[in-house]
Amino acid sequence: MTRLLPVLLLAALAALPLALGTEPYLLNALITTGILTIGAMSLNLLLGYTGQLSLGHIAFFGIGAYVSALTSLGFDVEIGFGYRVAHEPWPAATGFLLAVAAAGACGWLIGRLSFRVRGAYFVIVTISFAEVVRLVALNWVELTQGPLALTGIPAFTFGLPGLGSWTLRTKLQNYYLVLGVGTLCYALIARMVRSRFGRAMRGLKENEPLALSVGINATRTLTVAAVVSAAMAGAAGSLYAHYLRIIDPDVFLFATTVTMVIMVVGGGKGTLMGPVVGGLIFGLLPVALRPVMAPEAQWIVYGIVLILILFLMPRGIVPGAAALLARGRAPRAGNTILKSRPAVQR
Amino acid sequence: MSSRFTLTTAIVLALAATGALADSIRIGVNEPLTGAFAASGTYVVNGAKIAADEINAKGGVLGKKLELVIEDNKSNPTEAAAVAEKLITSDKTPVMMGAWGSSLTLAVMPKLVDYETPMLVETSSSGKITTSGNPFVFRISPPSALEAENFAPMVSRLGIKKVDFLVLNNDFGRGAATDFGKMLKEKGVQVGLVETMDQAAQDMSAQLAKLKASDSDTIMITSAVDQLVLLFKQMAALGLKKRVITTGGSQNPDQIIAQAGAAAEGTMHLTTFLPWLPEKTPNPKATEYFIGEWKKRGFAFAGVTESFRGYDGIRAIAQAIEKAGSAEPAAITKAFWSVDFTGLNGPIRFAKSGPAGKESGQSRPDVYIIEIKDGRVVQPTL
Amino acid sequence: MDQLLQHLVNTLILGGTYALLGVGLTLIFGIMNVVNFTHGALYTVGAYLMYLAVAALGLNFFLALPVAIAGGLALGAVIEVLLLRPLRGQDIDTTMLVMIGAGIVLQSSTLWTFGGVAKAVPSPFPQAPLQLGPVSVSWLSLFVLAGALLLIGLTYALINRTKLGLAMRAAFQDADTAALMGVDVRGIYTATFALGSSLAAAAGALLGPVYVVFPQMGQLAELKAFAIVIMGGLGNVTGAAIGGFLLALAEEFGAGYVSSGYRDAMGFLIIIAVLLWRPTGLFAKAERIG
Repeated sequence: MTRLLPVLLLAALAALPLALGTEPYLLNALITTGILTIGAMSLNLLLGYTGQLSLGHIAFFGIGAYVSALTSLGFDVEIGFGYRVAHEPWPAATGFLLAVAAAGACGWLIGRLSFRVRGAYFVIVTISFAEVVRLVALNWVELTQGPLALTGIPAFTFGLPGLGSWTLRTKLQNYYLVLGVGTLCYALIARMVRSRFGRAMRGLKENEPLALSVGINATRTLTVAAVVSAAMAGAAGSLYAHYLRIIDPDVFLFATTVTMVIMVVGGGKGTLMGPVVGGLIFGLLPVALRPVMAPEAQWIVYGIVLILILFLMPRGIVPGAAALLARGRAPRAGNTILKSRPAVQR
Repeated sequence: MSSRFTLTTAIVLALAATGALADSIRIGVNEPLTGAFAASGTYVVNGAKIAADEINAKGGVLGKKLELVIEDNKSNPTEAAAVAEKLITSDKTPVMMGAWGSSLTLAVMPKLVDYETPMLVETSSSGKITTSGNPFVFRISPPSALEAENFAPMVSRLGIKKVDFLVLNNDFGRGAATDFGKMLKEKGVQVGLVETMDQAAQDMSAQLAKLKASDSDTIMITSAVDQLVLLFKQMAALGLKKRVITTGGSQNPDQIIAQAGAAAEGTMHLTTFLPWLPEKTPNPKATEYFIGEWKKRGFAFAGVTESFRGYDGIRAIAQAIEKAGSAEPAAITKAFWSVDFTGLNGPIRFAKSGPAGKESGQSRPDVYIIEIKDGRVVQPTL
Repeated sequence: MDQLLQHLVNTLILGGTYALLGVGLTLIFGIMNVVNFTHGALYTVGAYLMYLAVAALGLNFFLALPVAIAGGLALGAVIEVLLLRPLRGQDIDTTMLVMIGAGIVLQSSTLWTFGGVAKAVPSPFPQAPLQLGPVSVSWLSLFVLAGALLLIGLTYALINRTKLGLAMRAAFQDADTAALMGVDVRGIYTATFALGSSLAAAAGALLGPVYVVFPQMGQLAELKAFAIVIMGGLGNVTGAAIGGFLLALAEEFGAGYVSSGYRDAMGFLIIIAVLLWRPTGLFAKAERIG
């Protein structure tokens, strides 16, 4: 069942445009939801599996978006002392790769940092990191256009030499691109989590002294998790930039991190399907709420939903539903489905 | 399977909301209703509603009622572009009005080309909007260059020698500093500091301390009303007493008087509407009707310097639809060129602007200078 | 030189309210181990209460101030009893996320209730500033500074000179032992959160008349409060008070002599620098609060 669910969901999502037709508005909502869901999946790697609450995750997403946009738009800026750095526009696909690399490098920094500072300090330092990056994007007008926004970002173009190129202009193409990247990220996370490395991550989260005593390298484990997580967020940011084709410093807003956190915690942190289910629900909820209530009221609902989830279903929807299903089917089994594979033997 | 159930519900709800009404003509309104510019965007929307109600009471356009589809762009460029896309593709509006700020409007403009749908720009003042070769843009507010041009004859009469700028860090503010700076240099006036501030900044005392120490006699400020109130209060607190002239048309002098009090005394403002002296406006009858209706609906008088643009904007769109003879985007785009009537701040008639073949439309409204004296708005004698 | 003096005076005025914001936040963290993400929203609520009392109800300015502070106190107590008390013993991440949710609800509610149009709070002070040689200060700013210093002093006295303060210090050192000794720890937590909240509301009520009141005003204030608290060391009241003035100094001089655009970045750069260099704050970590 747990293995079948992702495949079924993927099939349903792949078939969805056939059912919806190409209604642009809904497709648009699905694409942005999909991009944010990739962000949520990457956040889950840190938050759910290593237990590090990073509230600056949007920084990686935004850095990915800006790096990708600037790579494909080109720039010419002064870096001080009269030196200038100029860059000719490159294809969007190289922007994507650079975005992944740049976000991953920032993730390495944050990963290293998580050893010096833990708990509340780590949370605040990650928020500050995102805020500093936002202020740089806002004020380095020569490079980022500041609040004027970077416009005219090209769409993704894939080409093979001799075979011509293929530009993703339509929503349908972008939908499948996002679905493809999302599936890839899911598969990568699933592989990581089920490997020895995954057990090391969960071991550190459950009982750090014990994990260290059995020879788990904490530095290496947390750094690798942070790098992979940040790189995936950067990939999502790149998709965002080339799909919307405009980005402004508000891409770094704290509210977006909160949305991703709600997706992860609501769906079920530390589970593979949690962020996907949470992402779909909380990504599409504003679309459903939009016709019935004002934007400020939507945010009130969002805040209340977050509190209710933490109170009523602290483990999230997916584990909650799984436990419910298990109880319905075999009352005596209890909720052993999730406890049958504990992270590290305590 | 709660996940799929919720997904289906969301889709059904969204579909239900997009069902179009057949017997009305829809006009998309893309304005900031939350975020930094919420106040101004709300005024513009309220002005637009007065125009729609007035037109509908007289039988509508082409025998159909006008229906405003109002969407919030959250004072954010990315959101403004998304809202435009929603209005065009989901609500099927053949024409739009928006998007208040220059950065917001510039973000929407590529969508107009993508979907070949015209938009009337009611507030934005960046020159880029009508010079970038977007044939779907028709603007009734003055770009800052036009504002500067109108202000030029007053410069020597005011005895201005050297000017510092304090502007918003965006298209609106930087554009104004560039255009006014150019005009002033041509008139032989020196230009000193150009200080910027973020639209959300609250404490500008550091910038003001710098301006206080400079040797210029005049400070030109470009920002929205909320920040102007803060600036005037902080200038008074710093004892900064120089001539102040604000630009941009979003100053809202009445709100400034009410909130900044004596700190606003003696400040001058370039505005595009004279609601304090309705008899001096180009179309006194329309001005009086509009102000009367505004008061009747219980809105604060202070809002009219913003809301009149929403009112004129919808009236211009209605005339374009009437002249087009159909509610099709292409026909309306063409018909905008023959719009001709007297709005609340001068004739609304679009002249070609920008690269040949892809011109945008630009109307030339009047620009006035007003002064706050004894807590009232007066026209300074020059 | 004149400009330098003016920047120094500006720093002093700004620093007082920053310190007030920081003290409230650090108190809650020190005693309860809760990162209060409603701090900014409570600051906003304090400013709106001041606006309601003065502009809408026509209350005297000096009477309105305690009303706004009492409002913050009450709201803080409600949040603690409803949201934090049931979560005692949960991990810090859960309480942080619940507080984020509560902060969103509070901030969106002020927007919903009062709309996006900024409100001004009239003040009874003369508009003409006090001139001290080349430097000018408005009377209102001086009052705000005095009010902030008075409130910080009162908080300090409450912690160090009263029975409630003694119980708070006991709960800070060891909640379990304190409970065994007959301290009502649950009550102490409610009192602490209410006190911290009232200080945030007081900062909003004092600054509302200086600036304008609008729903998003708390967002930046909250992030700055984090910076101040990190600088002083989490839970260190004296450190937070000094941190407030240091942040004001960095901002004022950063904007005056480096670049006005990066003014608000100063605080965050300080956070990152402090945490890399001296993770427990600039001042040695307090053995006890106070």
